[in-house]
Amino acid sequence: MGLAVDVVKPYGKQKPMTYDSEKLARSINSACLSVRTPEGEAASTASHVARIVSLWVNSKPAITTHDIRRLVAQHLQRYHPDAAYYYLHQRRIL
Amino acid sequence: MIPDNTTIALSIVFLAALVHASFQLSISVLTLMSGHALGRKTAHRRLVHLIGGFVSGAIVMTVFLLTFIAYLAGVIMPFGTPAILWAISSGLAIGVGIAVWLFYYRRQLGTILWIPRSFARYLDNRAKTTKSAAESFSLGLSSVLSELLFIFAPLIIAALVLIRLTPDMQALGILLYASVSLLPLLVISLLISNGRKISRIQQWRETNKRFLQFAAGSGLLILGVYIYSEQIVIVNALGGL
Repeated sequence: MGLAVDVVKPYGKQKPMTYDSEKLARSINSACLSVRTPEGEAASTASHVARIVSLWVNSKPAITTHDIRRLVAQHLQRYHPDAAYYYLHQRRIL
Repeated sequence: MIPDNTTIALSIVFLAALVHASFQLSISVLTLMSGHALGRKTAHRRLVHLIGGFVSGAIVMTVFLLTFIAYLAGVIMPFGTPAILWAISSGLAIGVGIAVWLFYYRRQLGTILWIPRSFARYLDNRAKTTKSAAESFSLGLSSVLSELLFIFAPLIIAALVLIRLTPDMQALGILLYASVSLLPLLVISLLISNGRKISRIQQWRETNKRFLQFAAGSGLLILGVYIYSEQIVIVNALGGL
């Protein structure tokens, strides 16, 4: 579900977009699958972490993608350290 | 029995290939492509095809670049390589070696390289959208081309050394260069194909990135200094006798 919270991209490259918890869950799910987590576990971890992050996001007028990434990695670390590492570092590979 | 000068020539080709092997751009692109493929639930067999396509592309482009430079050098300079070209090649190796020591990885977390960001974004997008073996083959070709700035010095030195050999030894030299320079890529592709986690591979790469940077820079410096000593200093000294 899309909350009325603006997500600010780094360096003002793109216009702010509305926070979308489903999109976030999809990206967490994808990170879990990338480190070979079984599909069911990946889906439940993704929805759980996305829900926690959404609660935090809901209390803010605007957030940056960096904030989201850091927060997701922080919560994902408890459930799946490998996925947390990959989620945080996948844009720092190249 | 292989003559001594052929052994020395093949040793230089081996060292140049080792230097080439320590550059990481192709491995980064392979890691990204595999991560994206796994993230969209690609079947294991399909993933292996993608990896196979990528590695084949990298092999073809490496062999093509080496043979093309060697052919060009043979056509332009049929009576031997002039000293100025050896001096330029060794200068290039020393210069790039120092640059690699200083700049190869950006000073931040991860394994981000000093390549133009637009280029890195292009490779990232291509890695994300690669779904067939043909696309991964072309990604393998382009990733070797993207590394050209770093691998040009070892390639040109290996090519100049190879053109002095007999045709059978040239073929052996090309095989040696391709297999040694692509060994890390083959190892990573085998690890991913055998189910090793991308995160573990990336963690290892990140932990050892400074060592790899130091090894690549040092290898280029050693290669440059050796070529300069062998082809300029010693040849001039013997010529003066």
